[in-house]
Amino acid sequence: MLMIEDLHVSVGTTAVLKGLNLTVPTGEVHAIMGPNGSGKSTLSYVLAGRPGYQVTAGKVTYDGQDLLALAPEERARRGVFLGFQYPVEIPGVNNVYLLKAALNAMRKQRGLPEVDAFEFLGLVRDKMKLMQMPETFLSRGVNEGFSGGEKKRNEILQMLVLEPTLAILDETDSGLDIDALKVVASGVKSLRGPTRSIVLVTHYQRLLDHIVPDRVHVLAGGRILRSGDHTLAHELERRGYDWVISEAA
Amino acid sequence: MTSALLTRIAAEHAAALAAQHPGPRTLAHRRNALQSLLARGLPSGRDENWRYANLRALEKANFTPATSAAEPRPEQLPAAIEGFARLVFVDGWYAPQLSAAPGDIGAATLTRLEDELPTHGQAFALLNEAFGGDGADIRVEASDAPVDLEVLFYSASPAAAYPRLRVRVAPNAQLRLIERHVGCVAAAQFINSAVRIEVADGATCRHYRLQETGMATTWTDTLRASVARDASYHLHLLQVGALAARTSVDIELAGPAAQTRIDTVSLADGQQVHDNMIVVDHQAAHTQTQENFRGIAAGRARIAFNGLIIVRDSAHHADSAQSLKGLLAGQDAEIDLRPQLEIHTDEVRCSHGATTGKLDDTMLFYLLTRGIERETAQRLLKWAFITDVVANIDVPALRTHIQRSLASRMQDAQSLEELLS
Repeated sequence: MLMIEDLHVSVGTTAVLKGLNLTVPTGEVHAIMGPNGSGKSTLSYVLAGRPGYQVTAGKVTYDGQDLLALAPEERARRGVFLGFQYPVEIPGVNNVYLLKAALNAMRKQRGLPEVDAFEFLGLVRDKMKLMQMPETFLSRGVNEGFSGGEKKRNEILQMLVLEPTLAILDETDSGLDIDALKVVASGVKSLRGPTRSIVLVTHYQRLLDHIVPDRVHVLAGGRILRSGDHTLAHELERRGYDWVISEAA
Repeated sequence: MTSALLTRIAAEHAAALAAQHPGPRTLAHRRNALQSLLARGLPSGRDENWRYANLRALEKANFTPATSAAEPRPEQLPAAIEGFARLVFVDGWYAPQLSAAPGDIGAATLTRLEDELPTHGQAFALLNEAFGGDGADIRVEASDAPVDLEVLFYSASPAAAYPRLRVRVAPNAQLRLIERHVGCVAAAQFINSAVRIEVADGATCRHYRLQETGMATTWTDTLRASVARDASYHLHLLQVGALAARTSVDIELAGPAAQTRIDTVSLADGQQVHDNMIVVDHQAAHTQTQENFRGIAAGRARIAFNGLIIVRDSAHHADSAQSLKGLLAGQDAEIDLRPQLEIHTDEVRCSHGATTGKLDDTMLFYLLTRGIERETAQRLLKWAFITDVVANIDVPALRTHIQRSLASRMQDAQSLEELLS
C-alpha cells in the first residue's frame, strides 16, 4: 500500500505540491487527472526519487517503509516502477542488456539467482508479442530512434518484464494513436492483480475506457481536490476541471 | 625546453651510437638528424599546439634505446588477431623468429627500413631519426585478396624505443594494418614512434593504431599520411596507455576525391595526460574528411584533442565533418577539445561539433529507476559514450580485443561480457 501524507515538494524556489494526501491500497488501480502544471509529473518523479525535487514536508510510505529515504535504485528493487512521460534515449546501451540487468537486480533483491539466458529470452519474447514489438528492438539502443509510440510500448515492456508491485505510469497514453493505446492498455491490464498497485497519471479519460480505475483523483494546485470512482473521469471529460477547482476554493 | 635537456639528449645519442650494433641505417643520417634537432630545439608549452602536452615528462625520460633485442617467448606476446600476418619488433629491433615468414604476407613485401622518413622539421620526428635503429618498410601491391597485417612493437625492457614504419600502398591495393604498441614494463619508459603512410591512387588503407603502453610510459609519435586521387585512408586511434602521451598526425589529401576518416578513442585516468594534434590538409577538389573523437577523463587526467582542418584554395567542394565529444568522469579531470578550420576557398562544406560534459543526469536517473546499481549505471553510460566510434572497427576479432582493452581500463570487464553476449 502506498500512503502519501501532507506532501510538500518544491522545485528550486517554486512550491509545486502543497499538502498532497493519497492512499493507494494494494490491488487497486488509481488514476490521477488534472490540468497542466498541477504537479502530476512532479508527484511521479518524487515517488521515483528524481534529484532536484525537494520534499519540504510530509511523508510517503510504501508497504510501511519510508520511501523517501531510499535511493531511486533501491525503490526500483523494492518494486516501484516509473513509466516515463518522455522515455530517455540511451544510445550505446542495448535494450536487451538493460532488461536483463534490471531483471537481475530485482531477482537479487528477492533472493533469486540470475535469470537463465534461455529462460530470459523466452520471457522477453512473450512480453514483446503482447506489446506487438518486433524482436529487432532488442538489439537496438535503449529508445534510440524510437517513435513516440514505440518508446511508450518499450516502457510497458520493461514494466511487464520487471513485474513491479507499484507502477506509476506518467502520461503513458499521451502521443499514442488509437491502436497503440489499445496495445499499451492491454499491457497494463495484464499486470493488474491483487498483489499490485497501479497509478495512472493522465490528462485524458480515453485510457480509462480501457483500464477502468478503482479510484479517480483530481490533482490541481498541488493538492488532491476531489476523489471518486471511475465515473468522475467521465464527468471531468464533460465538464473540465474548473468546477472542481472552484468548488474546492 | 631547456638546453640542459638537449645536452643530455646529445650525450645519450653519442653513447648510444657507440654502443649499438648498427642496424640497417647509416650513422651519418642519424647524426644529421640529431644536429637538426639540436638546431631546432624541442617544443615548449608556450607553443599553442603543445600547450596541452605534458612536456615536463621528458625531463625524466631516459632516451637511450636497447642495444640489442631481448627474445621473448611467443606466449609472452599479446594474442595475435586471427587472419592477420604478424611482424614483430622487440625493443625496437626486428624479431624474425616471432614474425610471419616473408612469403606469408600476401601481396605485401617487408624490408628493413633504411631510408629516412620525412620529418618536416618536427622535433619528435627528428628525435626518432636520430635514435631509431630499425624499422619496417612495407609495400602493398594490388591484389584480389586485401592484405591484413599486424605490426607489433613490443617492449621487453624499459629502455627507450623508437618504432619506425613506412607503408606504401600501391595504386588500387587494399590494406588493413594493425599497428600495435605494447609495453610490458611498469617502469618509466620513453617511446617515440614515427610512421609514414602513402596511399596511392584508388588504394584503400585502414589503419588501426593501438597505443597500449605501460602506465608509466612517456609516449610521443609522429604520423604522416598522404592520400592520392580516389584513395581512402581510415585511421582508428586507440589511446589507453602511457602516463604522458602526445600524438601528432598530419594527413594530406593530395589527390582529387581523396578521403580520410579518423576515429579516436582516448581513455585516461589518474595522472594521465593524452594530447592529440590531428591536422588534415585538403589540397585537392572533392576531398573528404570525417573526424570523430571520444575521450573520457577520470581522476585527475587531462585529455586534449586539437583537430585542424585546412582547406586549400585548390580544394573546391571539399567536405569535412568533425564530431568531438569529451566526458568528464572525475572531479579534477580536464578535457580540451579544439575543432579548428582554416579555409582558403569558397564552395566547401565544413561542419563541426565539440561538446564536453559530465554523465547525463537524465540517462543516469532512467537507469536507476530500473534498479541498476549506480556504479554499474555510470559505467554503462561511459561505455555507451564511446561505443559508436568503437563500432566502426570492421575486424570483429580486433573490435573484441579493443572492447576488452577499453573495458579493463574502465574496470568494467564483467558487465562487458554481458554487452558482448
